[in-house]
Amino acid sequence: MSKQFHEVRDPIHAFVRLSTNERKVLNSRPLQRLRYIHQLALTYLVYPGATHRRFEHSLGVMELATRIFDVVTHQANLTDEMRNLLPEVTNDRDRLYWRDVLRMAALCHDIGHLPFSHAAEKELLPAGWKHEQLTAAIIRDGELGDILYNKMKLQPDDVIKLALGQKDAHNLDFSTWETILAQIIVGDAFGADRMDYLLRDSHHAGVAYGRFDHYRLIDTLRILPSPPAGEQEQTPGDDETEEAGDETEPSFQEPALGIQEGGLHTAEALMLARYFMFSQLYFHPIRRIYDIHLKDFLKQWLPDGRYSTGVAEHLRMTDSKVIDGFLKAAQDTGVPGHDPARRIAQREHFNRIYQRHPDDIKITSEPGQAVFEAAKQKFGEENVRWDRQPPKGGAPDFPVQSNDGRIASSMAISETLNRLPVPSFDYVFVEPTLHNKALNWIQTKRKDILESQEEEDHEKAQ
Amino acid sequence: MKRLNKAAIITQLTTKLRDSGSWCGETHIQKAMYLLQDLLNVPTEFTFVLYMHGPFSFDLRDELTSLRADGLLELKAQPTPYGPRFAPTQLSERLQEKFPKTLAKYGKAIKFVAKALGDKRVDELERIATALYVTKRRKSDGSVQSRAECLHRLKPHVSVSAAVKAVEKIDVLDKQAKTST
Repeated sequence: MSKQFHEVRDPIHAFVRLSTNERKVLNSRPLQRLRYIHQLALTYLVYPGATHRRFEHSLGVMELATRIFDVVTHQANLTDEMRNLLPEVTNDRDRLYWRDVLRMAALCHDIGHLPFSHAAEKELLPAGWKHEQLTAAIIRDGELGDILYNKMKLQPDDVIKLALGQKDAHNLDFSTWETILAQIIVGDAFGADRMDYLLRDSHHAGVAYGRFDHYRLIDTLRILPSPPAGEQEQTPGDDETEEAGDETEPSFQEPALGIQEGGLHTAEALMLARYFMFSQLYFHPIRRIYDIHLKDFLKQWLPDGRYSTGVAEHLRMTDSKVIDGFLKAAQDTGVPGHDPARRIAQREHFNRIYQRHPDDIKITSEPGQAVFEAAKQKFGEENVRWDRQPPKGGAPDFPVQSNDGRIASSMAISETLNRLPVPSFDYVFVEPTLHNKALNWIQTKRKDILESQEEEDHEKAQ
Repeated sequence: MKRLNKAAIITQLTTKLRDSGSWCGETHIQKAMYLLQDLLNVPTEFTFVLYMHGPFSFDLRDELTSLRADGLLELKAQPTPYGPRFAPTQLSERLQEKFPKTLAKYGKAIKFVAKALGDKRVDELERIATALYVTKRRKSDGSVQSRAECLHRLKPHVSVSAAVKAVEKIDVLDKQAKTST
């Protein structure tokens, strides 16, 4: 008798299990390609262990998303209010259908990634394109679409919605239920994507910062009504507010993924893990400059300086092909992209001369840009690079259910979340032979440079 | 529009919303910015999609976080059970002083939106902003009823009668906006 379930060994989750049809998805070309896409781009040049790939991360997201789904849709963990609002959780057939959709969405959520993941995606795709559009195109069509639709009887658009969420599937309408399920995968606070990448990246890079008690965290996740967003919520309006709606309309708090009070500390640990991982790993300055050299190489080496947005060409393009390209270019001055390729292959990266300092934003809101513009004038455009990474996502504001059932904002009850810093990075780099000279220059001229930043209006008044 | 020009608009909108009595949580700023962009045609270029509580921009969410990192906005925790409120900082006042042309150009629109929405609760903001979303971005015969039904389909917890009132409110605001800004 053939096996109905198949196991994959995983260093983070021990075993990840798949059904026979799910294994067909895993064995499809778009998923197998992820074996050749590094999860953390060129980070392995700084943290040598960080050579893991999007393939195992995708399995990990599927595993964690399933665990979250099973906890938050367990009948014992739902209130009557949520059962009424989300009829899918009380209908076994619907629930199992959406569990399959969720698993496949989690497994496929990264299939549109370009080589070396996020590195400079914006500049290497045609205007208006993001890798998520490629994810949607691959899910909808061809080999993968055929397995999902014909063998598993899943609607590809349902898979796309959960894989991308509203942010990137904005041409599709989401029900409240679908919004919750998308949060399970790509959510800002408790998304399985985030949980897995923190745990996995931390493990492979050999840094402890990304760890948190994800078992406890998942066990305490619940679908909860959003906390009241203000005192006005408790004092229905005056005459004017009645114009906008019906004064008898009951107040409705949209449901969201939240947590029981007992899981609050591990939720805090997750948020701190993210902050530390961004500071220590994802925005490590040397890692960032390698990304910039890679982008410079690709802009010269790729036909027309851009990746193709055709699915067939996308599936052929992997990190292996790019690595082969830059290793060859590094040896041959005649190959486009020789200089940045050499910097990567021979570790002759640019060096940091400036990073954002809290005192500097009191002088100008864009200190890195000010230094970059001045450094270009001083040392030549080709010798200077600027890397500004503004923070993404919102505040860690989610519903917390206390032991007596009351709901409150996480930020009203957690001092830790209130004080969580916002990671933001702003670096300027110069060519290595200019490093000392540039450091001396900035040491003596910093104040003048920052004060020279032009911030006034660029638009004509009317 | 350049980032710092947008920052001047967002921080001034935050100030004006608070002056008009708004709680000024993220939802309040999101809906106000949506009206500013889609009703008042201020070209802030945020991408709005239908999400929790109606139109929502993930770009704007990122920008609000970025403004916190830059010391231009603060997120202040409130007593339990309430969500946090945004507040402008002294640094944001200095930033606004550097953008007199932008704020002269869009100041009336900012004031209009803040006055129109300052006293609204989140559920009211959701209905009004979604009514505008349906009016501007969904195909319909243009009648109040068809737009209200569309709103109800997208947000089933909003009754058709409440949706009708929200669509009517948007039509009134649209007329007022054309005459007063």
